Amino acid sequence: MKGLRRAVAGVAVAGVIAGLVLSSSALAQDASPTPDEEIVFVAGTTNDMRTVNPLRAFEAPEFEVMDLNYDLLISYSKDDLAAVPSLATEWAQSEDGLTWEINLRDDVTWHDGEPFTANDVVYTYNLIAENELSGVNYLPFTDSIEVVGDYTFTWTTTEPTTAPLTPPYIYILPEHIWGEMDLAEVKKFKNYPNMIGTGPFQLTEWEKGQSWTMEANPDYWGGAPKIDKYIVRKYDNEEAMVTALREGEIDYIGDLSIDLFESLEGVEGITTNVGPETAFAQMSFPQCVPDSPDADVDCTSTTGHPALYDHDVRLAIVYAINKQEIVNRVLQGYGSVGTTVIPPYNRWRVEPAELIEYDPAEANRILDEAGYVDTNSDGVRNMPGGGDELNFRFYLRSESQESTTAGEFIAGWLQDIGITTEIKSVTDSKLTDLYIANDFDLYIWGWGVEPDPDFQLSTYTTRECGFWSDTCYANPEYDALYEQQQIASSIEERAAIIDEMQQIIYDDIPETVLYNYNSLEAYDSAEWTGLEENLSPKPQGFLWQQYGRHTALTVVPLALAGPSTNPVGDTGISAGVWLGLIGAIALIVVIVALVRRGRSEEDLA
Amino acid sequence: MGSGRFLLGKALQAVLTLFFILTFNFFLFRVITDDPVKLLTRTQGVELSEEQQQQLKEDLGLLKPLPQQFVGYLGDTLRGDLGISTFVAPGESVTSLLSGTLPKTLILVGTSTIASVTLGLVLGIYGGWKRGRALDMSSMTGSLVLYSMPEFVLGILLLLLFTKYLHLFPSGGYKSVQGNFTGVAYVVDVLNHMVLPWITLTLAYIGEYYLVMRSSLLDVLGEDYITLARAKGIREKFVLRRHAVRNALLPSVTLIALSFGFILGGAITVELVFSYPGLGKLSFDALNQFDYPVLQGIFLVFSVAVLIANLAADLLYGYLDPRVRTSR
Repeated sequence: MKGLRRAVAGVAVAGVIAGLVLSSSALAQDASPTPDEEIVFVAGTTNDMRTVNPLRAFEAPEFEVMDLNYDLLISYSKDDLAAVPSLATEWAQSEDGLTWEINLRDDVTWHDGEPFTANDVVYTYNLIAENELSGVNYLPFTDSIEVVGDYTFTWTTTEPTTAPLTPPYIYILPEHIWGEMDLAEVKKFKNYPNMIGTGPFQLTEWEKGQSWTMEANPDYWGGAPKIDKYIVRKYDNEEAMVTALREGEIDYIGDLSIDLFESLEGVEGITTNVGPETAFAQMSFPQCVPDSPDADVDCTSTTGHPALYDHDVRLAIVYAINKQEIVNRVLQGYGSVGTTVIPPYNRWRVEPAELIEYDPAEANRILDEAGYVDTNSDGVRNMPGGGDELNFRFYLRSESQESTTAGEFIAGWLQDIGITTEIKSVTDSKLTDLYIANDFDLYIWGWGVEPDPDFQLSTYTTRECGFWSDTCYANPEYDALYEQQQIASSIEERAAIIDEMQQIIYDDIPETVLYNYNSLEAYDSAEWTGLEENLSPKPQGFLWQQYGRHTALTVVPLALAGPSTNPVGDTGISAGVWLGLIGAIALIVVIVALVRRGRSEEDLA
Repeated sequence: MGSGRFLLGKALQAVLTLFFILTFNFFLFRVITDDPVKLLTRTQGVELSEEQQQQLKEDLGLLKPLPQQFVGYLGDTLRGDLGISTFVAPGESVTSLLSGTLPKTLILVGTSTIASVTLGLVLGIYGGWKRGRALDMSSMTGSLVLYSMPEFVLGILLLLLFTKYLHLFPSGGYKSVQGNFTGVAYVVDVLNHMVLPWITLTLAYIGEYYLVMRSSLLDVLGEDYITLARAKGIREKFVLRRHAVRNALLPSVTLIALSFGFILGGAITVELVFSYPGLGKLSFDALNQFDYPVLQGIFLVFSVAVLIANLAADLLYGYLDPRVRTSR
């Protein structure tokens, strides 16, 4: 009786399992690629996306999504990142230089089918200019921005400026959606689902913390992309991500760490790319002097070490740092010694007039001369007159291996000149709190710099203290130059001013640029083409996350003629499942057998 | 006397502990964050005027006296309102965030715990019973190695072996990002992603149960009543099953109950190795980004789970060992 029941149960279990196996095998076959299979390009990242509201975004993946979902008014040329038409077709400055008249394309529609007009551009620019939202630095001296015709608008300024050619890095938003909300709602707007833009892709799926999918816009005014979908997948483990690229699960990785990048070099079917040096890491010094005369800046609660307000100490520290050694040993050559605050790929960069090079003897001499001597013979220098020791809190980013290692090297070099540090490893969020509160002595962080340096240069102005300023650096002369470069009448004039600004930062040392570093990328070249051919800018460019997103429009499977030969990632069910299922069946069989045997013997006893 | 009062006592104890947990959870986060409004404005990138900040504080109930805030918090929590995420998923309610991740962790960590408990106990009983045999020696060595190896190291080794060299399993996540599977194919796809973290967790914890079970069985086998049972002529199998194992199980029950409590804590390191979006990864993200409402919610779920598991262990003890019920 009992035995029969168990036998029936056993048969039922076996039946269910067999059914599962058979049906899944059938479905697995369905899932394998067919000629009408979608063309999907998948990228891996370790950086998460949190918001797609352009007014709140600050992480790289957020900008990547918005770059594809929206258009700029004026975009970047492929070879040298010069201003080229995008939504704007032509632009002209009035005789007095105060008014720009800008004509727009008349064949653009939003993702929801509404026509795009000058009202949208004027709405977006006014929203940002009037409320001083993120991006306002691209719209300096704005007097008014007005619609002239359906596809024409004017931008009037109080000073002549070439700012429209920067070009403004402001995504053009649809007035028929954003215009319905008041300012508070606009700032809180989630912008997903239904992220309406005019760009070549639209964000259609977003599994927070895991992946996000952008679908191609077949009606894109610049021509439909050749892929159907672009998916970004978030990994918490870079090693697993690199394995996924080798396995063909994903097709592209940007921002690789050096060791993993080198592990991919020479791998068959994978092409690596050493991208341009668009970013730098800097070590910042507190500049918020407590008794600062500047009324805009409240520095009463700053906790920076007083020695660091002294230019001599900062200069000595720069002399003590062997930047070339960091490039060689930490970056393993994928970068260059840092000097000015605009990195090498940028055409606005200037090299400093006189380079401060590694010279610990000079560092010691400067400190001795300035009176920072070791008064209590404990090996650490003291403030002049025998005050506090030169012992600095040194914050390093737990999220960046390279900057942490560089920081450890620097701590050693500072020790050599009688300065001690207490290294503290913190998350980026924590470091943000610390630098905004001026609660640090030293820290290392970095910047990625846009083709136009306006924003980067703005971060050193006095009014950015408490916002973007790394150090609360305050220099009226620099602030004046910043405004002058915005109203320069020619590229040459602007370049001369920007050269001077870079030199000022280099000489004043509110922070010292430690190194510039390459962006390291790799992609599955056994499957894809259209990337390497379209590197931007020239000569050393990006494969994928470019200004002007050229490859997003050109990337295409090698076998476009017959997508059937192009397996789309891991759509099939891997052998692993079979192993797992077989294991599960074996386990069940064993357990059932054991139970039955045990029971039957017990019955006998 | 009897089990009624025993049950009641245990339940009362649990309720008291729950109250303590809620209190602690409330005050802990009041101590960590000095100014939640500042935190909110930073993470949401919104600049607020003094009045707006004041207004926000009023809206959030931060201007009320602390006891009143506490009562409000208790009420909200009991209604299932755990607040709004500030950074991990800005604007989303913590409850929905938790209910999205909880099942994923439950499936992965829950089933792997059951597997490692089963295997560990079976091997442990066998090892204690047939001490010194080849199987005992090999599972002893294996258990010690796996038990002492950090689980994320084991995870990375398995990842390299199965994904990089054997090309068997996907590298991470809980499902494929492309090819929208439905029905059985979806289940298979999800299982396929779960195999590696599952094996990792199962292997990593077998040793714990194996070692405890084996040593307590060895202790029990030396007792007089076992000798007596044998002297009575009871067959060895039933000496083991009815006399030895039942008593030797007690230490394991505690261990198992605790492990089940910790299931909801997720498996932070393993989930990170395999980018598996469970509670462990969520707590890692929340901690990294100072998302206090989410952390508060996770803490609550976690401590309640441990509480329930302990309660279950107590009750199970009462069943396994009648002495527990009547003592006191």
